[in-house]
Parts: sequence; C-alpha cells; structure tokens
Amino acid sequence: MTQKDIKGILFLFLFALPTAFFFNWFSPFGIALVGQWEISKGTVNAISKTDSVNSLIEINNPEIIKQIVQKKEKIIIDVRSRDYYDQGHLPSALSFPLIDFDDYIHQLLNSINRQSAILVYCASFECTDSHIFADRLKDLNFNDVKVFSGGFRQWQEMGFEIEKNEK
Amino acid sequence: MKNNYLGIILFVIKLTLGITFIYASYHKIADPAQFAKIIYGYAIFPELSINILAITIPFVELIAGFSLILGVFPRSALLIINGFLLIFILMIGFNLLRGHEFDCGCFVFSNRPHALSNIYLLIRDFLLLISGIYLLKKTTAS
Repeated sequence: MTQKDIKGILFLFLFALPTAFFFNWFSPFGIALVGQWEISKGTVNAISKTDSVNSLIEINNPEIIKQIVQKKEKIIIDVRSRDYYDQGHLPSALSFPLIDFDDYIHQLLNSINRQSAILVYCASFECTDSHIFADRLKDLNFNDVKVFSGGFRQWQEMGFEIEKNEK
Repeated sequence: MKNNYLGIILFVIKLTLGITFIYASYHKIADPAQFAKIIYGYAIFPELSINILAITIPFVELIAGFSLILGVFPRSALLIINGFLLIFILMIGFNLLRGHEFDCGCFVFSNRPHALSNIYLLIRDFLLLISGIYLLKKTTAS
C-alpha cells in the first residue's frame, strides 16, 4: 500500500462520512444517531423519522400480559402471518395478519368495537408489525390500543399456555 | 491480443465490483432503519455503533463504487471495497459457524436470512474479493 493509496482512502472517507450524515439529517427516512437496541426497554428499532414504534403504548412485562390474557381484560390480536398463528398463539387471540390488513379491515371493524381495549402482538422484540398495526387502528379511531413488545417469542420463552390450530 | 483480453477482463471486473457496490448501497440509503436492523441481527456490533454504521457504510460503498468506475483513486477504492468484502465474509462466516440466524418473523422485514442465503452471500462475496484482489494487483500504483 503506497502513501497515495492511504491519502486516497482518507479522501474517500472524508468525502463519504459528512455526506452520509448530511443526507441522513435531511432524508425523510433518516434515523437517529443512536437507536433503541435494548430489549429490556421494549421493541428494538433504529428510531427513524418514519417509525411507527411508540414506546408509550408498549407493555414490556410478560407477567402483566399473562394477567390480561387470563382475566380477558383486552381483545388480543395476533398480527403475524396465519401460518405462524396456526403453529401457536396466545390463548383466545384473534388472527389479523398485518399483511392482510386492507383485506380484513371490514371483518375487523365488525368484530371489534372502537371502545374496546386491544392488545396487539407480533413475533418478538425485533418485530415492529404490532406497532404498525396499532398505528393503523389509531387512525381508525381506536383509542385503547397497547402493544406486547416481547411478542409471541417472549410468551413462549416464559413457558405460558399456548393455543394451536390443529390442521 | 493477450493484452486486449486482459484489458477487457479488468474492465469487466472493475464494472462488476463498482456496480455491485453502488447497487448494494442504494437500498441501504433508501431504508437505513431496515439496514440498521440487519446490522443488529448480526449480533456482533455494540448497540451504540449500529445506527452510525447504518448511516455511514452505504455512503462509503457508494463513493468507493463510483470512485472505482470513474478512476478516481482506483486503488484506494479497491482497498476499501476489498476491506468491506473481507469484513462481510468474516461476519457471515462467523455467524454461520456459531449457528446464529436472525429471523424476526416480521412481515415488514423482507431480508430474512437463512443458512442457504448466507452461504450464497458468502460464495458471492468470496468471488468478488478474489476478483478485487486480482484487480488491485493489476492496477499499478502511479
């Protein structure tokens, strides 16, 4: 490696790095300099300008979720794909996959009252589908929507009861 | 005649590497949040560095790709590209060896890696790295 190579590398980095931060700052898809990557704090995400993740509506305690499920305090919605739902889901959870949101919206509106307390979950802390779903429900004037941030994976890891749809 | 063939081969390698890096940077620049999640999924980097890497890596790739094609500091661009390829190979290989697969099970998260696709990536990056090293050897330092 010659001195010119090193100078070239420095030049390219000095050009690329400020450009990257400048672009990120003004981009509508820009992200924060530090993301939320600790599962103890809830759903992990890069904290972008377009994010639908809202930590204020998260319940990050599986024991509380267990109580909610046992006492049937909320309508529980599983937004994973139907295959995942069939393999196992929280007891009495309804399946409304995010991917089919537009197709099943009328069915959803017919089966759930806008005043109902709703709990949405997806696969895990790494999944933001539940937040996207909750966001869409809020747009439809559902006011009491919470998200179980640990999702099905945490529920399973806790060893809590699981319902399956046998085929 | 032999020099002509060699020239064409080197040109094709240069274009392939340059375009690959420019193309690879495009999706990452368009959706840095998703790229950050992919970096997180490797479970190698400290949490504080994930977003910084997601913001900066695509632009280094983009500028190195253009620099190689346009012939501006081509050896430096090649050194960066080869360095990236080596890091990618080590990261993917390390995760394959320890059996770490990241699958968030999300609908919105389209890049769900599986062992097969990781092996494909590993082979692709290895071939690109060999080409990159060959091109570097043939690109004289002036």
